[in-house]
Amino acid sequence: MRTFGLILKEMLERKLNFLLSLLAIVIAAALFVAFFTTGEASKNETIRLMRDIGFNLRIIPEKTNMEKFWQRGYSEETMPESHVYELASYEGISYAHLTAILQKKVIWQGREVFLTGIAPELATPGRKKPPMIFSIERGNVYIGFEIAQGLDLKKGDTIDIFGKTFTVFHSLSESGSEDDIRIYAHLHDVQSVLNMENRINEIKALQCLCIAHDTNTNSLSLLRYQLARILPDAKVILIQNIASARESQRIMAERYFGFIIIFVVVVCMAWIGILAMLNVRERRQEIGIMRALGYSSTKIAVLFLGKAVFIGLIGAILGFGLGTALALKFGPVIFKVTASMITPQIKLLYWGVIASPAVCSLSVFIPAMTAVAQDPAVTLREE
Amino acid sequence: MIMVRLERASKFYRTKHGDVKALDEVNLQFNEGEFAVVRGPSGSGKTTLLLSIGGMLRPTKGQVFINNSDIYTMSERERVAFRAENVGFVFQLFHLVPYLNVIDNVLLPAGVGGSRYSQEEAKDLLNRLDLTERIYHKPAELSAGEKQRTAVARALLKRPRIILADEPTGNLDPENAEEIIRHLAEYHSKGGTVIVVTHGKAADRYASRVVHLKKGHIDSA
Repeated sequence: MRTFGLILKEMLERKLNFLLSLLAIVIAAALFVAFFTTGEASKNETIRLMRDIGFNLRIIPEKTNMEKFWQRGYSEETMPESHVYELASYEGISYAHLTAILQKKVIWQGREVFLTGIAPELATPGRKKPPMIFSIERGNVYIGFEIAQGLDLKKGDTIDIFGKTFTVFHSLSESGSEDDIRIYAHLHDVQSVLNMENRINEIKALQCLCIAHDTNTNSLSLLRYQLARILPDAKVILIQNIASARESQRIMAERYFGFIIIFVVVVCMAWIGILAMLNVRERRQEIGIMRALGYSSTKIAVLFLGKAVFIGLIGAILGFGLGTALALKFGPVIFKVTASMITPQIKLLYWGVIASPAVCSLSVFIPAMTAVAQDPAVTLREE
Repeated sequence: MIMVRLERASKFYRTKHGDVKALDEVNLQFNEGEFAVVRGPSGSGKTTLLLSIGGMLRPTKGQVFINNSDIYTMSERERVAFRAENVGFVFQLFHLVPYLNVIDNVLLPAGVGGSRYSQEEAKDLLNRLDLTERIYHKPAELSAGEKQRTAVARALLKRPRIILADEPTGNLDPENAEEIIRHLAEYHSKGGTVIVVTHGKAADRYASRVVHLKKGHIDSA
């Protein structure tokens, strides 16, 4: 009789032991599959969200002192205005809103104000998104709430800024931020006033993303890489958004469930190990007679390890089916946002049929060695 | 020609209450083609003697030779192969594998002997042992006599040079006991060597020699 035949007949004879061992591996495999199937959906959804929402970026001169940047709210360094057009014309990056900014804190009318020049927004060709940042005509200014209040400025008033006359186009409502002491003007007007022709100190790119077809690519890394190629003297600051918050949440959940999975796998391994040990005890005399008939230690070990591999394989297949069914049934209830993304992950089956027999064999290793180490002379004398 | 030779073979079992001498400096030999009975009371060392001869139990001291080879100087692998090739066992408790039917139990040595043992040979053997109708029955469905005949068939399938039977009739009624001994005698008549350890006297009329064992010593041989 061939070894596999012996294994199969033994399993059919001791059905309870076989079924309990199988149950352990099916539970572990099903949990693993269910979690990763829903997790994968969540991951794909996050990638999709990031693709749709994109990253909000501030692109500033590479040499910027970041300590001062965060203190002042802008970079003291500048870069060529042409950078924004280079970025706009680059086909590998898509964005919804792109604008060049030059801003500086200045003393005007005896008070500190932020003088901010904004270029008209650039948009990806064919994409009809309304401007997110307001567009300012040359010769006009938008006045922050505090300045307007302090100087009693209204729409239509004219003001002089460092020798150049501007019309107040709009007096902004209170924002409760530094924008209340800000004067917005056209970029080229501010460049002219500050004698910084063709210079900017920030590009604001909203909903910016790379055009990559591989959903598994880390899009932020790719975006940074692409930007570094186009604008080698600039650096990128990410403005956190919902998508990245969701990504952080997913990673946290993955770690949490990762711990649970490890715990479940260890418990199942112990379960299988105990069942195998009971099986070895039950088969003491059988092992003894096999040794008497000339079965080697290796052959005896193969009987137990082979059984473990077989249970592992069946368990992986059943576990994959059960786990996928659970993910498809309950995943959409738990993860409502990612419901439509939950699909069977066939790669988990491939991994399962490799990992599961290995885990089972590992669990059964000690019992198998115990079986091998049994003295047949002792067991054959037992009544 | 000497088939089995024990030289000052001793076996001690360590227990909580001190060492127990199962065999004590035993010198004994069995010739090829001999039908020997080893008799003695419980605890006299009969089973220990049998398992030592079968390469299953290393003596604490002394040597065991089969065909002039000291079987305990062989490696474990060599001894296992030697046993598979040359020795057949029959036990009092039959030791059939419970999940295999009669023919699969008989063919169990094929698991190490490969295709040398065919289904036809096994069926022929079972026919001779009057087990044809039980061929696909599991041990739990057999009578004690049928179980022991299956065990004998399993031992005979390999056509071993020596059969070691440990109380083969111990669990059988006189009729079945007689039948089992008759099958062993038939094997012996074809040139096989048989050593039967027993309390009973069923084997005496076929035996060419009766060895008496007492407290690990040869009382008479």
